[in-house]
Amino acid sequence: MIPDGQTLSYDAAPAFSTPLRFFLTAPLFGAAAGATLLAAPELLDSRWTPGALAVTHLMTVGFMLTVMLGAMFQVLPVVAGAVIPRSGPIAAIVHLAMTIGALCLAWGLGSSAHGFLMPATVLLGGGLAIFVAAAFLGLRRIPVAQATPRDMRIALIGFTIAIALGMALGLTLSNGLALPLLVVLKLHIGWALLGGAGVLLAAASWVVVPMFQITPNYPAPLTRFWALGTGAVLVLWSATVYGELGTAEFALSAALAVLCVAFAVSTLKLQRQSRRSVPDMTTRAFQLGMGSFIAGLACVLVAHHSDHQAWPILAGILVLHGGFVSVIVGMLYKIVPFLAWLHLTQDVGKAPNMKKLQPDAPIRRHLGVHASALAALLLAALAGNPWLIRLAGALVTAEFIFLFANIVKVLGNYRRAHAT
Amino acid sequence: MKKIVDARGLEPPQPFELAMDTLADLPKGESMTLLLDRMPYPLFRILDRDGYKYENRIRDDGVVEIDILNP
Repeated sequence: MIPDGQTLSYDAAPAFSTPLRFFLTAPLFGAAAGATLLAAPELLDSRWTPGALAVTHLMTVGFMLTVMLGAMFQVLPVVAGAVIPRSGPIAAIVHLAMTIGALCLAWGLGSSAHGFLMPATVLLGGGLAIFVAAAFLGLRRIPVAQATPRDMRIALIGFTIAIALGMALGLTLSNGLALPLLVVLKLHIGWALLGGAGVLLAAASWVVVPMFQITPNYPAPLTRFWALGTGAVLVLWSATVYGELGTAEFALSAALAVLCVAFAVSTLKLQRQSRRSVPDMTTRAFQLGMGSFIAGLACVLVAHHSDHQAWPILAGILVLHGGFVSVIVGMLYKIVPFLAWLHLTQDVGKAPNMKKLQPDAPIRRHLGVHASALAALLLAALAGNPWLIRLAGALVTAEFIFLFANIVKVLGNYRRAHAT
Repeated sequence: MKKIVDARGLEPPQPFELAMDTLADLPKGESMTLLLDRMPYPLFRILDRDGYKYENRIRDDGVVEIDILNP
């Protein structure tokens, strides 16, 4: 039965609007990142330009973190049976804080108006703290033996550390807090992308890949130890970064890369064993994502031993846009129509086929634009040609508008089915 | 004889649909066993709402078994 002391009442299930507000807002941040690139191609000169920092945070906080928070409001009850208390009002508060906070952060970093970093720090830190507290309350009765909820707890800890480090960076820039900026920055990137986003992606994949891509389950040792092992190595890596132990830091960076490649290769292997005769669009998105992660990690390791500006930029593009965005988009195209179907079934007793709620053709078109945008970004980073960078910016803007329009179409189909 | 519905290896929402279709034909006082790859928390909400009684267990091979009674 449901875990002791936890009721999974019909009324406690999150409303469709709870995750949807996050899913509808996130693509707008992605489009804003593309538009910024289109307007200011010089920002790709280095990863440290104010524009590059703004685009990076529009993508990571504005798009990735927003989708991840929205998904957790829904995935925790559906997959783990964990009910986040008062999920509606909490989602509204967290969404508002994260949205305004992400805007302040991008504006503060992009325009070097560091006065915006203080409200960004308060809103993002406060919003995430509320979410983490609510999620831990929901998860408190769920057995730690289940891989997905256990690893989601680890991801929540990772996000908390990343945001705390981000707040420290914000205070350093806005209030002159005396901290070793580059050390804190490196730790912030490691914990945000691997301790938070990476572990959460794996935790969701343990369920989403076998369930929606009709594959065997991930190998038990991987689901049992991957997140814990990655978290432990990340702690050791953090110590070497803090202690500025260059050789040990590189060795542990390589160990983290091996762990990530093991996850990516395992996912690709499972997809080859899918019972589908033809891979669907989500599978394609995951394949692009896993391939990009592997290539991006190789760039990260090369960047350790090269002073060339292009390696960290290529790594960032491959890991963020090629890796996380591809996989997140693939998951969204399963989660949103499934939720529409589920809520229709619960509310009116019957629902149209999921393919009618979310047809394949618009997804295929969107992923085509997404892959083109990735290729253009990589070429632009290598060539440094402003017109190529503008083209990449235009394609990134277009792909996120496509994503937004496709989610709105599912919502329209849901409303029509609800009304009949 | 108790009806057994094997909904493993299907893409969502097919297991849910199969369970709901079988429940619709389940006479009062009779029960069915549903075999799944994972815990169907959304289905539990529907069963609670519609007054079905159910019990679940996870077999050693990882298969989730749910006995559902139409009281």
